[in-house]
Amino acid sequence: MTSLHSRLFFLLSFVTLSLSFALVTSPQNRSNLEPAFPASVTFNRDIAPILFHYCSPCHRPGEAAPFPLLTYQDAQKFARVIAMVAERRIMPPWLPASGDLKFLGELRLSDGQIALFRQWADQGAPEGHAQDLPPTPQFTPGWQLGKPDVVLSARKPHALPASGTDNYWNFIFTTNFLSTRWVSAIEIRPGEKRVVHHANILLDRLHSSRAQQQHPDDGFPGMELRIESESFDPDSHIFFWKPGSIPHVEPDGMALRLDPGDDLVLNTHLRPSGKSESIQPSLGLYFTDKPATQFPVLLELQNDKALDIPPGAANFEVTDEFTLPAEVQLLAIYPHAHYLGKDLLATATLPDGSEKTLIHIPRWDLNWQGVFYYETAVILPAGTRVSMRYIYDNSSDNIANPFHPPQRVVGGNRTTDEMAHLWLQVLPHGGAIPADQSRRVLQEALARHDVLRNPSDFSAQYNLGAMLQARGDYAEALKHFQVAVQLRSSDAIANNALGGALLALGDSSSAVSRLLVAVRSKPDYASAHYNLGNAYASLSRFDEAIVQFAEAARLNPQDSMAEANLGAALAESGNLAEAELHLEKAVKLDPQNSLAHDDLEEVKRRRSFSSHP
Amino acid sequence: MFVGSTPRKKHWTPFPAVFALLLFTAAFSFPQDTASGVLDLDGRSADPFRSAGSKIVVLLFLRTDCPISNRYAPTIQELSVRYAGHVAFYLIYPIKSESSDQIRKHLLDFGYHVPALRDPGLKLARASQVSITPEAAVFSPARKLLYHGRIDDWYVEFTRARRAPTTHDLADSIEAAVSGKPLSAASIPAVGCYIPGLP
Repeated sequence: MTSLHSRLFFLLSFVTLSLSFALVTSPQNRSNLEPAFPASVTFNRDIAPILFHYCSPCHRPGEAAPFPLLTYQDAQKFARVIAMVAERRIMPPWLPASGDLKFLGELRLSDGQIALFRQWADQGAPEGHAQDLPPTPQFTPGWQLGKPDVVLSARKPHALPASGTDNYWNFIFTTNFLSTRWVSAIEIRPGEKRVVHHANILLDRLHSSRAQQQHPDDGFPGMELRIESESFDPDSHIFFWKPGSIPHVEPDGMALRLDPGDDLVLNTHLRPSGKSESIQPSLGLYFTDKPATQFPVLLELQNDKALDIPPGAANFEVTDEFTLPAEVQLLAIYPHAHYLGKDLLATATLPDGSEKTLIHIPRWDLNWQGVFYYETAVILPAGTRVSMRYIYDNSSDNIANPFHPPQRVVGGNRTTDEMAHLWLQVLPHGGAIPADQSRRVLQEALARHDVLRNPSDFSAQYNLGAMLQARGDYAEALKHFQVAVQLRSSDAIANNALGGALLALGDSSSAVSRLLVAVRSKPDYASAHYNLGNAYASLSRFDEAIVQFAEAARLNPQDSMAEANLGAALAESGNLAEAELHLEKAVKLDPQNSLAHDDLEEVKRRRSFSSHP
Repeated sequence: MFVGSTPRKKHWTPFPAVFALLLFTAAFSFPQDTASGVLDLDGRSADPFRSAGSKIVVLLFLRTDCPISNRYAPTIQELSVRYAGHVAFYLIYPIKSESSDQIRKHLLDFGYHVPALRDPGLKLARASQVSITPEAAVFSPARKLLYHGRIDDWYVEFTRARRAPTTHDLADSIEAAVSGKPLSAASIPAVGCYIPGLP
C-alpha cells in the first residue's frame, strides 16, 4: 500500500542572453530612405529621415545613448562624429554581415546613406528649409507594451563606481503569485540606461542563485550564470533588454510558465560612465491566459575545451558541429564569445549538400552582442549539419584584450576567460514525429553531443543522465550519474540523482549511501531527504524513513508527496493516528494526489477495523 | 579622423585673421592678454594663465554631453590632485550652447574639484590647437604650448576602448614639463567628440 516516488532533478547551465535591436515605430519606411545624392545636403530634407529611423530610438532623453539626436541642434553639434562613426560602421551598432537570411530590425546603413552624412558634415551641416523636415518621431513613453500586469522592483540598488572595468551584476526578483501564470513578455527597465549595456532574465525555479548573495536582496556579481533546474523548459525563452530594444512578445502558445515562488534573475552588463550610479532595475510582467503549447529548444554548440589560446595568437580557430536528428524551424541565433572573439561564423549544411550561412559576424564586439531573430523561420531538415567556426585574437592588436601584454587565455566563465558558444532557438517541426517526441530526441542528442565534447564536464554528464532517467533508461542514466559523482564526489545534486537511479534499479542499500552524502553536503535539500526516506522505506527501515520524510515536509511545507509518504511510513510503523493526520494534510495540499487518497482510505479502514474488531 | 593612425585632414574654415595669427603664435608663446572672451561660471572674464601664476598650466577640453570625455572624469580629477603642487588644471568647456548651470551640474555629477571655464569663442581651444573632447594642452610657466592631444591610449576609436590604457601621455608630458626635460611628443591625436567650429 505504500506508494513511494522518487523525483529527479536536472542541472542546466545557462549563460547570458540578450536580444538584438528591434526598432521602435518610425514614420519612415526604408525605401524612402534611399538617398538621391542631392548637390547640397540639408538636415531637414536628407539627414533627419535617416537619423529619426536609425538613431533617435536610442538617442533621445531617458534612453541608452549618451546624447539625444532628435533636432537639428542636437545633430549639428555631432555632425562630424556622426559621419565618422557611420563611415566606420561603428554606429548604428549591428554586428551581422548582410547575407541571404534576413534578421528582424536590421540596422545597417546603405553606402549612399553614409555618403550623405559625410557630405552633410563636410558642407558645414546646413539645416535646410523648414518645410522639408519630417515630423519628429513619436515614441511611447514609459512601459513600451502598456501598463504591465505586475511590476517587480529590485529591493536594493547596486552601486556602480564612477570608473573601472565593465561590471556584471545579477539582481534576484522573488515572485509570489497564488497560482501559475503564463508570461507572454517581460519588459526590463534596467535603471540608468546609459550605463547598462545589456540585461537579460533567467528563470530560477529552485532559488539556486540565492545562495550566491552575501545578504538577502544584495544581488551578486558574475558574467555567466549557472542555474539549477528540475526540467528543461526555461532555457527556450529569451527575455532581454538591450539599448533600443522593445520587448519581445512571445506568440500565442509559446508563453513562459511562471510557478508560485519562482525567482527571476536579471543579469546586467554595466559600464562605468565617469560618475557613480545607483542601479535599481524593475521588471514589467505581461500575462496571457493562453498556456504554452509549443516548446522551443535552445540548441547549444560549444567548444570551450578547445580554448587554450597562446599569447600573441591573432587567428586562433575553434569549431564545433552538430547534426540535427529531427527537422526544426530555426527562430533565432545567439553567438557568444568574450573579449578575444574576432570573427564568428555559423553555417548549416543541408542533407542535399547545399550550405546556408546562418550568421556571420566579421568584427565581433562583445558590447553589441545580441540574439538575432530571423525575419522568417528557417527550416532545417533532419540530417542538417550545423557548424560554428570562431576565430579569436589574443594579440596586442586586439584592443579589447583584457591582458596587456597578452597572456594565455583558456575557456571559462570569468570575463577574462574566453567562450565559444552558439545557441540556436528552434521549434521542433515534426513531420511524422510528434513535436514533443522530436523535442526529446533533440535534447538527448544535444546532451550526448555535450558529453562527447566534454567527457569530464560535470554538468554534461549529469544532464545526459537526467535526460536518460526522465525517459526511464535508469541503467544508462546510472553510468552518467556515476561519472558525475566521480567528478564531484560530494555534490549534493549528483549524489541525489545517483541515489534516485539506484533506488529505481532496486539497489536501495547503495542508494542510501549516496543519499546520505547528499543530505550531509546540503542539509536543507528537501528532495534528497525525500529520496532518502524512500530508500529507507524500501528497506523497511521505517523509523529512519519517517525522520527523512518529516524533514522533507518541514523544508518544503507545500509538498503533498512528502506528507503522503510520511503518512505511509508512519502507517507502516504502526502509528495509524499520526499517519492519518499527515495523509489528510497531503490531500489538503493536493486534492489530486490519488496516492494520498488511497493511503488515507486504507489507514481509515485499518483504524476502524482495529477499533471495531 | 581623430584616430591615431589617420592624418589630420587639412580643412580650411575661414575665421577672423586675429585668430589665425593667434594660432600661429601660440605654438611659441601665449601672450597673457589673449584669454579675453574666456569666462568663468559667473560670466566674468577670466584668464587661466594669469591666475596660474608661475605654475605649469594644463587645460582639459570637455563637453557635458560627450560620453568619452565623461568617462575620463575620474582620471582627470586624479591627475589634477596628483600634480596640484606644480600644475594649475582648468576644465575648459568650448561648446557655446552649454550654460554655466549645465556646467555646474556636470561638475557636481562627475565629482570634479577643478576650476572650470567657458570658452565660447574657442580662443583657448585655438591657442591650444585642440579639436576634440577630451583633449589636453600643457603650457610651460612661460606659456609655451608644450603638448596637446590625448590623455592616454584608453580609447582607440569612438566606442572602442581598451580595458585599461597602456600609455599615459598627459601624465608623461606633465612629468617632463615639471622636471624640465624634453617631451617625447608635442602632439598625439585624441579620440572623442569634435568641437564644432574648429577645423
